[in-house]
Amino acid sequence: MNSFFKEYFDTVLFSTVIALAAVGLISIYSATFDAYAGRDFYRQLTWVGIGLIAMLVTMLVPLRWLQRQAFTIFFSSLPLLILVLIMGRRVYGSQSWLGIAGLGIQPSEFIKISTLLALSSFLSRSDVRATDLKDLVKAGGIVLLPITLIMMQPDFGTALTFLGMFIPVLFWAGASQFLIIIIIAPAFIGVASIIGTTPFLLVLLLLGIGLYAVGGNRFVAALVFGANALIGLLVQLVYDKLPLYQQKRIQTFLDPNNDPLGAGYNVIQAKVAIGSGGLWGKGFLHGTQTQLSFIPKQWTDFIFCVPGEEFGFIGALIILALFALLLYRGVRLATITKNRFGSLLAIGITSLLAFHIFVNIGMSVGLMPVIGIPLPFLSYGGSSLLSYMIMAGLLMNVYANRKEY
Amino acid sequence: MFEEFGSSQRRMIFKGILAFLFLLLFGRLYQLQYVYGEQYGKEAEENSIRNIPKVPIRGYVYDRKGRLLVDNHPSYTVMLTPIDFDKKNLPLLSSILSLPENIIEEKIRTAKKYNQFIPSRLKRDISFGELSMLEEYKDNLAGVEIQMESKRSYSSSVHGSHLFGYAKEISDVQLEKNKSYYQPGDIIGSTGIEAKYEEVLRGEKGWNFISQNAKGQIIGTFDNGKHDIPSKDGLDLYLNIDAKVQAVAESLMTGQRGAVVAVDPRTGGILAFVSKPDYNLSIFSGTTTPEQWYALNNNPEKPLFNRATLTRYPPGSTFKMLLALAALDKGIIDENWTVVCPGSFRYGNKVFACEHVHGKVNVVDAIHKSCNVFFYQLMLKVGLDDWSEVGKEFGFGKISGVDILEENPGLLPDREYYDRVHGKGKWGPGYLISLGIGQGEVGVSPLQMADYAAALAEQGTWYTPHFVDRIYNKQTKTFHKMQTPMHTVPLSEHAWNLVREGMRRAVMEPHGTGYAARIPGIEVAGKTGTAQNPHGKSHAWFMGFAPFDNPKIAVCVLVENAGYGGAIAAPIAGLCMEQYLYGEIIRFGSKSSKAAVAANQ
Repeated sequence: MNSFFKEYFDTVLFSTVIALAAVGLISIYSATFDAYAGRDFYRQLTWVGIGLIAMLVTMLVPLRWLQRQAFTIFFSSLPLLILVLIMGRRVYGSQSWLGIAGLGIQPSEFIKISTLLALSSFLSRSDVRATDLKDLVKAGGIVLLPITLIMMQPDFGTALTFLGMFIPVLFWAGASQFLIIIIIAPAFIGVASIIGTTPFLLVLLLLGIGLYAVGGNRFVAALVFGANALIGLLVQLVYDKLPLYQQKRIQTFLDPNNDPLGAGYNVIQAKVAIGSGGLWGKGFLHGTQTQLSFIPKQWTDFIFCVPGEEFGFIGALIILALFALLLYRGVRLATITKNRFGSLLAIGITSLLAFHIFVNIGMSVGLMPVIGIPLPFLSYGGSSLLSYMIMAGLLMNVYANRKEY
Repeated sequence: MFEEFGSSQRRMIFKGILAFLFLLLFGRLYQLQYVYGEQYGKEAEENSIRNIPKVPIRGYVYDRKGRLLVDNHPSYTVMLTPIDFDKKNLPLLSSILSLPENIIEEKIRTAKKYNQFIPSRLKRDISFGELSMLEEYKDNLAGVEIQMESKRSYSSSVHGSHLFGYAKEISDVQLEKNKSYYQPGDIIGSTGIEAKYEEVLRGEKGWNFISQNAKGQIIGTFDNGKHDIPSKDGLDLYLNIDAKVQAVAESLMTGQRGAVVAVDPRTGGILAFVSKPDYNLSIFSGTTTPEQWYALNNNPEKPLFNRATLTRYPPGSTFKMLLALAALDKGIIDENWTVVCPGSFRYGNKVFACEHVHGKVNVVDAIHKSCNVFFYQLMLKVGLDDWSEVGKEFGFGKISGVDILEENPGLLPDREYYDRVHGKGKWGPGYLISLGIGQGEVGVSPLQMADYAAALAEQGTWYTPHFVDRIYNKQTKTFHKMQTPMHTVPLSEHAWNLVREGMRRAVMEPHGTGYAARIPGIEVAGKTGTAQNPHGKSHAWFMGFAPFDNPKIAVCVLVENAGYGGAIAAPIAGLCMEQYLYGEIIRFGSKSSKAAVAANQ
């Protein structure tokens, strides 16, 4: 019995998810306990319960059925995004919420999963080659559909997460590395050239090394390198021509410290909260910044500040370790599983998680611009928690089926 | 290339990137919490910035002559800082403010959720007695303070309930929609021009930045207030309303249910706008008690309902001009076409009634004496399409775009409507006969009727009706004039002349149904209407304009369940026009009035 259980149930992954959800509940309790007498805490607790059930159900759905029905699921989920545009609720400037039976649902959280299912199913077909440009364009079309609809809400952060999933999946599926570099290089070059000349030259150097390492046609490589250098210079030129207030807006987005009382207010308060936690933290319910509600939205996007302040560097490291374990499990699963659909699914989920973790914590510690996306398993919010629980369920599903071709 | 899928090289790159990103986060946390932890700790202890809103003064409202109609008066608000308040004082506070303890507790809980270290509003607009009691017990009530604020105050000469609308404390639903600007306890315009011009009237909030320590105590201003953002006061509105005409219309409608709308046909500016019964706007300016709200909301007379723009009653005989215009313009009839009226009209097995036996009538007589039989027959000749086409030109069946948000498009049926409701081919000419006299499946609002009257006054030119003429900015001392879209009803001059002559006779000549709208010394044109009502007495309509040759005012009066339009609605319209054109009611005979009449003749 025990060995049978071990064969089909990924205990490590399950325990990690439970531990993360618990950290989230503790943080939400601390951030909100005095205002509504713990109302938010109990709501989130209910969602954890619902999420666990969803996770176990997802684990038991036959993987082959998911693979076959991926497109049906994908296309039947897309209308939700259209619905949200027509009758959605506007929260913090973007129309991304759908009221269903008194509950606020954010469809884009679930569309991430259905898109990944469709993408994985497509790329694992025996007649599809990730090296074939035509197939790559088709795969791009799958992702572009939800991205376009989400940009119309407009929810830039969520749209970006789709790219954070799409490119790693292509990479894993065997797309030409040369091509991937060509796709992503301009974005990095553009941002770097706005920040300054040194970052621009640095990224350009990295691009050179990357192109050299990947190999490929030397002539094309040189062309790509030249084009990117030109793009960087052009972006700088256009940026300099922009009116001052627009330049300032872009600068503030890239580095919120420029506007300490406006856009930078959250980031500075977040940094003070986390920094003041020190090595051991101030203790549960004793974080002054958390308890004084200095950080707006600290139970949603800025949740990391709460354990950061109350449990200090040690606490933060434990959370990082839990996340690292989760991601490590994901990559390992993608490696050992014998079927390609499962492998792509695992790598896609791992990338999505990694993207959210890095961008969210990076934002709280002032490494990244403020992009409003939740921290997996920790942030307050039913839709996001439920979607991550379903993703965990999918990973466990892949684990259970890892030996099937 | 198949072996490239998840190859060991790609695995290494993937893991490498993840490891690099985690290392970055690790390094940053090490730097923030371990290296600079102490410094940030101190910063958290000593100095944190908080922003406190400064509420601007809401803009004033003036009438066309610059008479002040809506302004602000000082009021006292009780503020409570949750952290400083001792719960054992709850019974004392409750008895002073006569607020139940559980309501105060609920407010404290909401305030805590927002911020327990700064004062939040507990009760607005307290009485002088409550104020002096609070002063007396000040020492026992830590965390409770008084703040001077302003509340809306209204001129005593007019009510204007439905045109000004009310501004009140923001509701949870409104707050959810406008989170970026408003906070709990803020005032927001909710109906009328207060709602439509909310962003103009409210101004722009300012912010004071203050420093606070980790215990939440205020240390002082942040950086000597260098970063404070001053508030911008709201802008003032100058309306087209004439307060005196408004007052006359309101007093004439006292005790009635209905509406009066008067517009300047040359501009579309609304001169008077009354919906009755109305209510006292100042109920909303301080604290509205649940009892007051319940009483207003559940009053069977529905005083909150804006009858001038939201009702849709059949227009009755006032619609006869529309049909006549369609027929004359399309050349279906001319001024010599006549009908003999025996007092009723039979179509199939149905009999349609007329008020009198009019004998032989042409189009001008038919409007003058309001003969139904003429228009029953004419409707059959003209048909639905031409009729509804002209109706649309006058703005019936659609929103006028007036500058308040409460508006009902009404109903102007066309072929598509009948096909949808009765089924294609399942309706015939018999369905249309009543439309000829403005009965049946047609619904209009008094505002739409005033536009119709204005278009008749100006021979087809009319403007989108509007309250606000210009916006005044106190800071820059500049006026911004509002632009008004113009509409035209393109019909022949011949048609306009005949129909307008009919309207003139309906008021000025013997046997006219609208004689009660006459004004001393000025020629008035108009038309009465009596809308049949299955639920009780008919609704009385009158619409018209004056002076006939050079119209300066167009007016519509609706009195619900009052009987004949000529008897009830026409006199009200006459007095309103008289007030506007003479600046006073002269028919009761003052010296200056006699001189005015003489001058006019």
